[in-house]
Amino acid sequence: MKIVVCVKQVPATTDAKIDPETKRIIREGTKSVLNPFDLYALEEAIRIREKAGGEVSVLSMGPESAKNVLTEALSMGADRAFLLCGREFAGSDTWATSYALSRAIEAIGGVDLIFCGKQAVDGDTAQVGPGIAAQLDLMQAANVSKVEKISPDAVTVSRMTENGSDLLRLKLPALLTVLKDINEPRVPTLKNARKARRAEITVWGPGDIGADPDLIGLNASPTRVVKTEPPAVRNTVTVKIGGAAPEAAKALVGELTGRGLL
Amino acid sequence: MKVLDELDRKTYKNVWTISECTGGAVHPVSYELLGAARKLSRERGCEVWTVALGHGIGGNLESLFACGADKIIAVDDERLRAFNDELECHILERLVKKYRPEIVLCAATSRGRALVPRLAGKIRTGLTADCTGLEIDTENGDLLQTRPAFGGNIMATIRSGEYRPQMATVRPRVMPMPEPEVGRKGEIIRETVRPEDALNVKEILGTIERHEATVNLSDARIIVAGGRAMKGPEGFKLLEAFANRIGGAVGASRAAVDNGWIAYPHQIGQTGATVQTDVYIACGISGQIQHLIGMQSCKTIIAIDIDDTTPMMKLADIAVKGDLFAIIPAVMKELDERA
Amino acid sequence: MAFTKGAPPGFHVEIIPPKQDSLKLEEDLELFASKFERVMDSGFTASITDNAMGLLAFQGHECIEELGLRPRPDQVLIHLNTFHTKRNLDEILESCEKLGITSILAISGDGSPRLPKLKPADVEAEGTASVTSVELTRYIRKHYPSFEVGIAFNPYEPEEHEFDKLNRKLDAGASFVITQPIIEQNAVVDRLLAEYPDLPVTVEAWMSKKLFLLSDVVGYPIPEDAAFDPIGTLEALRGLYPGCGFYLSLLGFKTQYPVIEEMAAERRERA
Repeated sequence: MKIVVCVKQVPATTDAKIDPETKRIIREGTKSVLNPFDLYALEEAIRIREKAGGEVSVLSMGPESAKNVLTEALSMGADRAFLLCGREFAGSDTWATSYALSRAIEAIGGVDLIFCGKQAVDGDTAQVGPGIAAQLDLMQAANVSKVEKISPDAVTVSRMTENGSDLLRLKLPALLTVLKDINEPRVPTLKNARKARRAEITVWGPGDIGADPDLIGLNASPTRVVKTEPPAVRNTVTVKIGGAAPEAAKALVGELTGRGLL
Repeated sequence: MKVLDELDRKTYKNVWTISECTGGAVHPVSYELLGAARKLSRERGCEVWTVALGHGIGGNLESLFACGADKIIAVDDERLRAFNDELECHILERLVKKYRPEIVLCAATSRGRALVPRLAGKIRTGLTADCTGLEIDTENGDLLQTRPAFGGNIMATIRSGEYRPQMATVRPRVMPMPEPEVGRKGEIIRETVRPEDALNVKEILGTIERHEATVNLSDARIIVAGGRAMKGPEGFKLLEAFANRIGGAVGASRAAVDNGWIAYPHQIGQTGATVQTDVYIACGISGQIQHLIGMQSCKTIIAIDIDDTTPMMKLADIAVKGDLFAIIPAVMKELDERA
Repeated sequence: MAFTKGAPPGFHVEIIPPKQDSLKLEEDLELFASKFERVMDSGFTASITDNAMGLLAFQGHECIEELGLRPRPDQVLIHLNTFHTKRNLDEILESCEKLGITSILAISGDGSPRLPKLKPADVEAEGTASVTSVELTRYIRKHYPSFEVGIAFNPYEPEEHEFDKLNRKLDAGASFVITQPIIEQNAVVDRLLAEYPDLPVTVEAWMSKKLFLLSDVVGYPIPEDAAFDPIGTLEALRGLYPGCGFYLSLLGFKTQYPVIEEMAAERRERA
């Protein structure tokens, strides 16, 4: 089983404080981490390899510093790591990212199964997984909560929906995006972490993956950010209620119904 | 579909929504989308169409007209009973190429979030996820799509100007529910599943409806969350009763979970779940930043606490000072009296 | 045994293992080894944290194993929190046993989305909603009886609540206590010592000059420019609590450590 796991470097959200003006949280810091959802994708891929044999490759697109998250993936147990890097890729939206990653998956070659996290925590779009499946014309299942069965030519999975779950059988190669429910990602051992830091990461530019220059980067991205602004200020007026419980309760219920909240 | 010049772009018209009829019933977000589409169509001087894919959907079409659809493309087929990504994408790709909509809106449900990125990937166009605002640019008629970015720190406005259709998803309960106009009529366009649509699609072996109650904080409209001042598991029993009374889910601060009063899936904050509910009722939660990170995007925050100097009481839209164990039962009693 | 009442109360030196995301892991490991060995040589206890503040770090036992360090009997305290898989928990405890480590500090600990939380069934505590240091202590004492288990005591929590929790931890089999940092005489700690005369208590002393970092622990803001003399404060606390051990967090190894060694030598002489 040849598996590719797509991962993303995202800003860490450990530092935060409240803006006294807007009463909103400002996240600070320049630290980057492996997208938390991708850990579940990676863990699932490693578990399948441990059972069925084969190889797990991790793939990312990003700046040189994204090597750190690939090293983390290697520490967890991935066999090989690939980074798409170069200014030609900069400014890619989800369409252009999906295209570039799909070219890289073709370049890795002979891939049976692709795993992605449910979404990245910085963009929250959940688009790149299905986007890659579209580019490669593969069957896809998003929000997978369990891999039930895997054979050389098909995979059976449970997919969570709002009302329950579906049992799906996909022909390989296929793409799966996974939920946190699927497993508990391992924490790398020190032994593996030391080994991973000595491992080589393959860095590819557009030419290495045979990418069409007109389909990568900012210029090839259908969506453009045209404006950014701070979010609406939280209502800074706090309505204060006090007094004995029955009166306070009356006042609170009055407020809530008055605002149409109950 | 590569970059289109202006003339090409003009051949795309009408605002589409993709209604969600999985399992036969219409998901309420479909009506919310029609409301948003109606607004855009007035500005563009065009029609609102909706695509309804499913099985046994005939009885629901009137409600789609009532909420604003001018035309419905209905595909009623047994194979569309459960959501099949590839099959629905094949059909939609064909319909989009045939009818050339200018705008396509879809719900950011688990189905929509899997379906439309695949569609946008196939037809090479832009897609903006989880929009909270949709407007028409008065200068050029393009769709301006606003969404929160960087964890809600900024609002980004996005355009996919040179590509058609312009696609966006919207989360449930973000757009207002339109007032249905009973008896409003429209045209139904029947389409079928073609043999080529069903090639190379996954097999759906079964569907399990979930009956057991699970902790679903992200889908809740109201969350009643408790902290250290709930004093013990009995305090959370009270919150559970309160939450049930007002149709909410129960959340907790880390302090409460660490004390063993409630299970970890209920934990909200940096090391737990992040929620964006309409109403967040914080009961005896002081409001450490790690907790605030998980709930700051809730629309209306209510805090109940004996101590009115806590960060949560200062942040709240409504701050109730007093004894939780007296106020919460009094609120339930008040609600009963009003009912 | 270092934590048994009657033994001379000593110094615990906190050592934080290298972080998982370290960009200079080998250097960090060397530093860990040198600190560890120095603490062993001084006769102090190396108190090794478990993903402190929810920041992912390597485990103390694997650093010791991987670096071939030799823990001296009763001179290592491994912290163990409730954010582990069951398998990982048992691995840690088994490795510690093999290494001859005899003391574990059971704490609820700081979570992170990256760390799995122990489930009640993992530690045979099906009746509870969430695993805390109480259930963890009981599990360790039952299945790994060779360990002495210590627990944390927070004098800044509501007092009755904290004493109630302490009793539950002691019922679960805990046999020594480490407090949260204090910087002056503390009435709650005084009560602890008075009401539990046989319980070995180690007081945490704050060794960083940045006193304001304590704000989160004590629950009230400490101004950023508050002047603070860690060594002077430690001396004062040792005078106030002569029967207690002292847990030194954020200890400076270059300048502070030699002073601590002198303090220990002085006491040895007096004894």
